[in-house]
Amino acid sequence: MFACVFAAAGSRPDVLVAVARDFSPRVEVCAAREVTLDLAGLNRLFGDAKTIAGELRRTAADRGLRVRIAIAATRTAARLLTRARAGITIVHPGDEAEAVADLPLELLEIFREPKKPEPSEPSEPIAPTEPIPTLRRWGLRTLGELAALPPDALAARLGQGGVDWQRLARGDDAAPLVPSLPEERFEQALDLEWPIEGLEPLSFVLARLLEPLSAHLERRDRGAAVLHIRLHLVNKETHERSLQLPAPMRDARTLRTLALLDLESHPPPAAIDRVVVAVDPTPGRVMQFSLLTRPLPSVEHLSTLIARLSALMGEERVGSPVIVDSWQPGAFEMKGFNPRAGIAEPGSDGMPTPNPESRIPTVAVRRFRCPVPARVHVDRGIPVRITIDRRGFAGGRVEKYAGPWRASGGWWTDDAKTSWERDEWDVALSDGATYRVYRERDTDAWFIEGVVD
Amino acid sequence: MANQALARLETALRARKLDGTLTTALPSLERRDPYALIPTDVAVLDACLRGGLPRGQLSEIVGPRSSGCTTLVRRTIAAATRRGEIAAMVDTFDQLDVASAADAGIDLDRLLWIRGGPASGGSDSTINRALKALNLVLQAGGFGCVVLDLADAPVSALKRIPFTTWLRVQRVIEGSDTACVLVAPQPVARSAGGLTLLLSACARWSGDADRNRHLTGADVNVRVVSPRRRVDGELSLCVGH
Repeated sequence: MFACVFAAAGSRPDVLVAVARDFSPRVEVCAAREVTLDLAGLNRLFGDAKTIAGELRRTAADRGLRVRIAIAATRTAARLLTRARAGITIVHPGDEAEAVADLPLELLEIFREPKKPEPSEPSEPIAPTEPIPTLRRWGLRTLGELAALPPDALAARLGQGGVDWQRLARGDDAAPLVPSLPEERFEQALDLEWPIEGLEPLSFVLARLLEPLSAHLERRDRGAAVLHIRLHLVNKETHERSLQLPAPMRDARTLRTLALLDLESHPPPAAIDRVVVAVDPTPGRVMQFSLLTRPLPSVEHLSTLIARLSALMGEERVGSPVIVDSWQPGAFEMKGFNPRAGIAEPGSDGMPTPNPESRIPTVAVRRFRCPVPARVHVDRGIPVRITIDRRGFAGGRVEKYAGPWRASGGWWTDDAKTSWERDEWDVALSDGATYRVYRERDTDAWFIEGVVD
Repeated sequence: MANQALARLETALRARKLDGTLTTALPSLERRDPYALIPTDVAVLDACLRGGLPRGQLSEIVGPRSSGCTTLVRRTIAAATRRGEIAAMVDTFDQLDVASAADAGIDLDRLLWIRGGPASGGSDSTINRALKALNLVLQAGGFGCVVLDLADAPVSALKRIPFTTWLRVQRVIEGSDTACVLVAPQPVARSAGGLTLLLSACARWSGDADRNRHLTGADVNVRVVSPRRRVDGELSLCVGH
């Protein structure tokens, strides 16, 4: 048996849900002011359906709610009846179609009302079509008249949607009750007796907060997508940090390490009074390992490693390189290190395809991120001697050269950093090294761009 | 007398679990398992090395500028990423050319690039930071190939690195599946279990006239030094087209 409770306008939805939960753990929120309850097993506690309905109404009244209640064997019948009849309505099992037969056809519109939005579930109407105006044109006025139509003929004219509407008109359920879970907060807080300074004592506090939080996430099969650390300071300020995690994780040690590494880079400006740790939950990860490929390190391991490396080298200096769509020499971007599992297929996902005809390696360049200024002696437009003032560069006579190759780009922008116009040369010097050098055409300055190695 | 002293020294080293540094007393570390090696993906060199560079050991690729060290390292990383492994590169002086790395066939998604850079304390500080990063990567584990690029480090700065640094690196990766490769202008680690590849090269040009000349590659000479793996030898290979 199911009960539907429909509250009067102006009622608070959370109070209505709380009343329903006092009676049954299986509660579905159908609309803002409407809930359905599964009453299975409640008759042993309260008595028959009429007693349960009376108790429900009294409890709701105690909390300031005026409600209509209907109890029926199907949720559809109970919902339709609460909309049409005030007070308490009880329908005996098997009488649902008869009980709703004289209700107006327009009541079916309630099944088109969006449900209370769930975080992970988009609301969908039950029937995809809108046949009610059509049914009205056919001269139908009540649900009983719709239920009496031959289903085959209805399906022929309105399709599957028409048959679904007819089932609802008979009081049949289109889907089982889906209990709405109470919204859970994954948050832990601790008021400190004495303010703490420094990260070492904070690590103990974080461990104490994160371990129950991690256990809570595990019980609900959830992982943390974002970790929020809120530190209330003695100077009445709040120091907040949010860590976007690369994958859902719930290992307390990993979360603590990541939080501490982040706070190491962004320390609070004063001593801490109160620590609040919260996570944005997301469904847990399902891992399928392969027998055929080498396993990659776990996301927790990699996240910790990247956080440690970022703290050491700088956040923008750790990751995977990405080639950008530009002819600008040395152009690249950085992105987070997030390797795919499995063996890389050449040619897919930007994976470069090695030359299949040759096993001979192509020559590589070692690029100076900031080009090294050089003094070049030029004879008839050709570099003949290069002198480099920087330590570690011998310089010398140009033994062989190739070039120049003229390159230019970015001239359509006003930014001097993104435009270039230059002549490039490959030169072998008497010190034995081969360099890639270039001359900036607008300033006539020479630079060493890299070493061919 | 000398033999007794040597025996006492070896016993003391074994007692302190430092016997990995012994090159003579232990049996050869030659392993027949192909998964214990990472190929450099240069056929002639892999044939000479009987499969490639050993995992769980610190190997060195050594040579001056334009000797082909970078080409060989990128080729090795490319082979590792193609096998589905992940690789890390501690780029001490931030000199990786991303375009030529992609040309070498490296799956960039599988490359963890740790970019060093100028530090306030000069090259010593930069190198120290890179060594710390290397230690973190090796301790994390799971990487098929980890490269520390010190090719542009001043020789004087390399000499100032305590030798125990390399012993510590060796101990971290011992028994793991990670092949650690050090690129330097001269041998510095001299690991007993790893290999040292000494490279020298001569640039190769096409075209006789000045106007149509192109740099096509280099002829690289590789000398293999291996204290315990008995794959010593010398070979030449062509780099480029």
